[in-house]
Amino acid sequence: MDKGLLAYLLIPLLSAVVIPFAARNRPKLADLLANVTLLAGLVNLLWLALRPSVIAGGFADIPGDGFSLLLVSAVYLVGLCVTFFSAWFLDEKLPNRQAYYSLILVSVAAMTGVVTTTDFFTLYVFIEVLAVTSFALITTDDSGAGLEGALKYFFLTFPASALIIAGISVLMLSLGSLSFDALRVFMASDIPSGPVTFGAALIMLGFIIKAGVVPFHTWTPDAYQGAYAPVSAHLAGIVTKISGVYAIIKLATLLRFFDGRAQALSGILMFLGMLSIAVGALAALKQTDFKRMLAFSSISQVGYIVLAAGLGTPLAVMGAIFHLFNHATFKTVLFLNSASLEKSAGTTDMEKLGGMEHSMPWTSWTSVVALLSTAGVPPLSGFWSKLLIILALWEAGLKTYAVLALLFSIVTLAYFMMMQKKVFFGRKSQAAESSPEVSAPLLAPAVLMSAVIVALGLLFPYFYTYVKMVAERIIL
Amino acid sequence: MSVFAFDWYMIALLLFAGFYCMLASRSIVRQLIGLEIVSKAAMLTVISAGALTANLVFAQALLITMIVIEVVVVAAGLALLVKNFRVKGSADIWKLDSLKG
Amino acid sequence: MIYHALLFAAAVVFAMWAVMARRLLTSAIMLALVSVTVSLIFFNLGAPWAGVFELSVCAGLITVLFVGAVSLIRHEDEKHPESRARFYALPLALAAFAIAAWFYLPEFFDALAGWRRMASGGGTIGLALWDLRRPDLLGQVLMLAAGVFVIKSVFPRRTEK
Repeated sequence: MDKGLLAYLLIPLLSAVVIPFAARNRPKLADLLANVTLLAGLVNLLWLALRPSVIAGGFADIPGDGFSLLLVSAVYLVGLCVTFFSAWFLDEKLPNRQAYYSLILVSVAAMTGVVTTTDFFTLYVFIEVLAVTSFALITTDDSGAGLEGALKYFFLTFPASALIIAGISVLMLSLGSLSFDALRVFMASDIPSGPVTFGAALIMLGFIIKAGVVPFHTWTPDAYQGAYAPVSAHLAGIVTKISGVYAIIKLATLLRFFDGRAQALSGILMFLGMLSIAVGALAALKQTDFKRMLAFSSISQVGYIVLAAGLGTPLAVMGAIFHLFNHATFKTVLFLNSASLEKSAGTTDMEKLGGMEHSMPWTSWTSVVALLSTAGVPPLSGFWSKLLIILALWEAGLKTYAVLALLFSIVTLAYFMMMQKKVFFGRKSQAAESSPEVSAPLLAPAVLMSAVIVALGLLFPYFYTYVKMVAERIIL
Repeated sequence: MSVFAFDWYMIALLLFAGFYCMLASRSIVRQLIGLEIVSKAAMLTVISAGALTANLVFAQALLITMIVIEVVVVAAGLALLVKNFRVKGSADIWKLDSLKG
Repeated sequence: MIYHALLFAAAVVFAMWAVMARRLLTSAIMLALVSVTVSLIFFNLGAPWAGVFELSVCAGLITVLFVGAVSLIRHEDEKHPESRARFYALPLALAAFAIAAWFYLPEFFDALAGWRRMASGGGTIGLALWDLRRPDLLGQVLMLAAGVFVIKSVFPRRTEK
């Protein structure tokens, strides 16, 4: 466990425990405590990573491997956006307001645990905590759809945990240790790998199910669509990415896919990634609900990350890490905006919406920025990560995959164009007449995240240096 | 066939029964029971691997954590079940089809 | 060896029974019996701590939780019983799987056992938990906190109308 980042786990936990007592009779205090905790953490992290002296030194002073610091920042950033949004979004009479904030803080603590751990079993423990908090968060508003999504998530994620445990037993038997370093050293040596790759493959399969990669994607759209509106941003933006995709990238680097000792596994992973890209994009084309389309788009974007992780060359890993971070930014904006739409217009059905640009300009334009970033339009951040992934594929001689990835990137643009036309642009619909723009505090997180997207795109050279440093540290 | 291979063969049978239950049943309670059987099988693999490599102390340390996790997971699952029952008046997972697309 | 094999066979039989039982209450009790046999297996393999935890927590606490939940919903469930045919097919499916697997799996697991790496395996459970698995203890604390908040969130204290 990375000791330097332990405080980012303990402080949210502490404040989660304090909230039910302190805010017992003053529900507003719960909002305040949760926001202050996450804001303080984020400011602290920014100081660690973005001090002028650190930037000037090419990020050589970053503690640990840099990967966990980046992801803890993403967790705090998304967490802060969600709690800030919730503070103005939650119904005054919601009976479990304190428990809601406590659960978000516990899930932030668990995600910090996931990204800072250095041991497979501890990874499993924190991922279970994360899963348990997600079910309760999804069902916050007592709706039938939320319950349905939560139950489907429940019955897919726990069999996957059993597979992970079986993989851990095989590793314990054949490797004698469960730490990441032991696996890395083992794969770098030339001892015949034997059942070690089999154990790693079982663990990988569990995480593929948890990440919602095709063919195990059936729970994702239901959970995202049914979830309580701000929670779907939390879930799609960061929770499922940390609980599944992070571990896939980590395992890909530990197994050293680039030197070909686990060739078969790498090939399967890349194939599943490509399949996710295709199925997600094609299914998104025919959706009529805004949130459900975003969910399928999320499956497709996860496909890009898994494809890059499966390739495993340093350039591909850089692309995967960068895309993971970008995905957190743009999906949070889109899901928060869908929550705004739901609050203002009362629906997320694309047939009923239309011309929202006239009445909700801020929501509309932040969405457009996020959509273009997802589709990979320069100079937004999504363009650079997709470029890195496609370049890495081309460089490794996988020209078919590179061309397909490029093609489906255009399909992404197509379905988002379609959605923009239906929801935001065009003639003013009845829904647009009667729905005013949401209040400024509800817009603030989306605007902040859009600013991050534009800034990451424009300041790409700095971010490239950072990601390059991370890739060098975790692959060597 | 060694004792270890026999153990894991039986564990595979347990896993099969658990997954079969989860696939065949429409009732949430029964699905939870299938899940429990699957997780029992997973626990057996840990202890059996520990016994084979003379690493039982370590394996038991893992198992105690797993049991704590399992209790909370089952409690969360049953809480969802009871809530679902209160909201919809059924414990049938295939009645969950309001979301489609 | 025979005792050991019988325990495993009993676990599989109880698991089948739990799946096939008509009444949910029987299923819950059979699940408890699976837990008991599993804990006996743990004792037999020389893992007493795991056995004690399994017996008290899984066979005890989880069964109580199950029986409680089942008795809440049993009435409704018995009004619309599900089709039994799929469950009666379980012994057949399991037998088919067992015979097919007999030719491959034991061989595979024997090969797996051949790759084993012996550990030094000293110390006590308490020391192992505290020295080697300290992050897991933190995870347990987090898990228990999460459990409390989940229950609080799913069953909130209703305020008066």
